[in-house]
Amino acid sequence: MTMILLAGAVLLVLAIGAALILGWANVAFRVETDPRIDAINAVLPGANCGGCGCVGCGDYAAAVVQQGMAVNQCTVGGASVATAIGRIMGVDVKASWPQRPVVHCAATQEQRLLRAEYRGERTCAAANLVGGLQGCIYGCMGLGDCTHACAYDAIHVKDGLAVVDYLKCVGCGACVRACPRNIISMIPFKADRVLAVCCSNKDFGLEVKAVCKVGCIGCKGCERLMPDLFKIKDNLPGIDYEKYDSATDFAPVLNKCPMKRLMYVGKPTPRDLEATKDQELPKEARADFKTTVDETEWRG
Amino acid sequence: MDHLVSLLLLALSTAIINNFVFHYFVGICPYIGVSRRVDMAFGMGAAVTFVMGVASFLSWMVTYFVLRPGASLTAWVAGLAGADAGSMDLSILKYAVYIFVIASAVQFVEMYLRRFFPPLYKAFGVFLPLITTNCCILFACLEIGTDKRMTSGSPDFWPLDLALVYALCGGMGFALAITIMAGIREELDLCDVPKALRGPSIVLIIAGILAMAFLGFAGVDTNIGKLLGR
Repeated sequence: MTMILLAGAVLLVLAIGAALILGWANVAFRVETDPRIDAINAVLPGANCGGCGCVGCGDYAAAVVQQGMAVNQCTVGGASVATAIGRIMGVDVKASWPQRPVVHCAATQEQRLLRAEYRGERTCAAANLVGGLQGCIYGCMGLGDCTHACAYDAIHVKDGLAVVDYLKCVGCGACVRACPRNIISMIPFKADRVLAVCCSNKDFGLEVKAVCKVGCIGCKGCERLMPDLFKIKDNLPGIDYEKYDSATDFAPVLNKCPMKRLMYVGKPTPRDLEATKDQELPKEARADFKTTVDETEWRG
Repeated sequence: MDHLVSLLLLALSTAIINNFVFHYFVGICPYIGVSRRVDMAFGMGAAVTFVMGVASFLSWMVTYFVLRPGASLTAWVAGLAGADAGSMDLSILKYAVYIFVIASAVQFVEMYLRRFFPPLYKAFGVFLPLITTNCCILFACLEIGTDKRMTSGSPDFWPLDLALVYALCGGMGFALAITIMAGIREELDLCDVPKALRGPSIVLIIAGILAMAFLGFAGVDTNIGKLLGR
């Protein structure tokens, strides 16, 4: 009987002692956090995607308040969240656009030269190490590292080419970090559909033609027509999205481009949806790397 | 000198030969859960070592003064109540009291770090609450609380210095194990693992192979002890 009472007393004393110590510590060691951090935390979408460059939404909220990080870095929330944070922090927000990834390659399996059959580990990171998988050393390999990296099921390999599903994409940038060839980049979507350069091949003319049916040959036609917007670097045009205005009529440039590498990307328009309504599109088509070297049409 | 040698041998034996992960297979959940990246694994290992040191010190105190048969505080209280002091043995409370002590110690340490060492809190922050329910901490406390007579220790209870060396080296052994595993898992990303074995299963298999490798250390402590004249 004494044993039981003693055991109960020991636990009780321990519990009371610990409660007192912890209660005192809670007051004595209180850390004053800025209430703005909690307010920003409440506004943020809470996806913890890391698109802003911080570890999670809480980290970003702390960085905004304590380190003066820009308020418009949340790619998921876009403009509405940026204005909300701006209101909490008391700063004006410049127009901010949602950032979405663009795959700078649009050559499908049939359109590029495949050098050899690839039987290695089926990840882009591994295939990129060995090389020789396909003629173009810049373009998409279609093994789907970006698909694996995407937490939103928004990028898929179709015909050996990574294609972003802009209806599902939230712009976290995971695919950008996953791509070993760095051909995916985040661009500001000033409209539902924006113009993008869909090629990454830095070679010129014949060398591009030798490995890809559709690659940009670096003819500088776009730069001559609209020198403000297009800047050629490494035989590839770059679009200055600061100056980009979706209302501009790009028809002359689009018609001028011999390889048709300037493409509109983004959410499908109602007309597109109408056109593909009846088609049964494969959810994911795996690249099947058989060599095309023997076929005579290639000069690679 | 003799005592120092026994400390050294205990350290070696706990950290490498009787490694908590490889020999006793405790602490497997963080071992598999947090061993994806080397830096994360190292942070977890450091946090476990730290908490294990704190928790084992506290539990040694509680055991020494309250829980063990013939503990002084218990005997005094029993004497006050007029009961027979010799028959008091509260060892049955070990599990409950240790869990309690570990949980409150971790809570306290977390608050303390948050207030006074923010960088450390940032580094440990995610791991500290996880460690509260980590079985290798409880294991270390229970081992220390067990009335084990060390050959050179005090005749009636495991002495405090040996207990602390045991806990800290056990934590270091855990850190060693989890860091090795994280290094292997980083390389594993590039390997062609059969689909059925991907994820935790291949990690368990690797842990088994590593444990076998660590078996090779068995007997090293005895031989070093012989060299040092024990």
